[in-house]
Amino acid sequence: MRLFQNSYDFNYPWEQVTAANWKKYPNEVSTHVIAVDVLRREVCRQGRQLVSERLITVKQGVPKWITMIVGASNLSYVREVSVVDLDSKTLTLRSCNLTYSNILKVFETVRYSPHPEDPQNKTLFNQEAQITAFVAINKLCNKLEEFSVQRFRDNASKGKQGFDSVLEVFSAQWDKMNGAVNDSHSAIINGNFDLIKNAFRNKN
Amino acid sequence: MGNVMSASFAPECTELKKKYDDCFNEWYSEKFLKGKSVENECSEQWYSYTACVDAHLIKQGIKPALDEARKEAPFEEGGAIKDED
Repeated sequence: MRLFQNSYDFNYPWEQVTAANWKKYPNEVSTHVIAVDVLRREVCRQGRQLVSERLITVKQGVPKWITMIVGASNLSYVREVSVVDLDSKTLTLRSCNLTYSNILKVFETVRYSPHPEDPQNKTLFNQEAQITAFVAINKLCNKLEEFSVQRFRDNASKGKQGFDSVLEVFSAQWDKMNGAVNDSHSAIINGNFDLIKNAFRNKN
Repeated sequence: MGNVMSASFAPECTELKKKYDDCFNEWYSEKFLKGKSVENECSEQWYSYTACVDAHLIKQGIKPALDEARKEAPFEEGGAIKDED
C-alpha cells in the first residue's frame, strides 16, 4: 500500500469553490475525464447537507505492460460520494475506482474547507489517496503501485490547474451575478451606481 | 470551457443531463448555499435523466461493480469505507 498526500490553497471563497466543483469537468487540462454523471443525490438535515453519488468516466492511455495484466482497455470508471456540509463548511469527496478494482484499488479523500488564515477569501484543499495493488508477484505489485502513484500525482497536478481555470471563468460569472444584484440595490437606495459598483470590484 | 457542461457516460443521456445540471447548478448557488431550500427542486429533470442513466448502467455492464462499491462504501456513510470485520 502507498499513500499520497497533497494540499494547496485556492484563492476563492469556499462557497464559490463548492459551486464550481460541479462544473470542474470538462476542463482544458484534465482531458482524461470524459464524463461525469450523478447517480443519486439527497438533501439532508433540513437543507444543511447535500450528499451526491457520481460516476466519473476516465479515458487515459496506460503502458502496455499494464494492459497485459488488466486486459486491454483505456476506459475506466470511478465512483465518488460527496458531502457538502453548510454547518461545518466542508465539502468532502470520497472516491474509488470501479474498474480493475480486483487488481488495484485507489481510495481517495478530498476535502475543501475555508482557509484558517483567510476563511472569507481562500479555500484549503486536502487530498489523500491510498493505493493498493493486489498482484501475486511482488515485484510486479510494487511496479504497479509505483506507476499508479506517479499517475495519480500527474493527474492531481492537472486537477489543480484545470480547476483553477474553471474557477477563474466561474468566479467572473459569479461576481457579475452578485455585482448585478448590488447594482440594482444601490440604484434603489441612492441611485449612485458607480460608487457601489467600484467598491464591489475593489473588494474582489 | 468553464461554461461547457460535461457529457454523460452514455451519449443518449447527455441532453437530459445538461437540462438537469442547468437546473441543479442554479438551485445550488441560489438556494442551497444560501440555506433557502430543504429539498432538491429539480425533480422533473432528475427523473428523466436518472431513468436514462440507470438503464445504461445495466446495458453497459457497470452496475455489478457499482453495487459492489456501494456495499463497501455506503452512500449513507458519505462514501466512507465500512470497517471490515
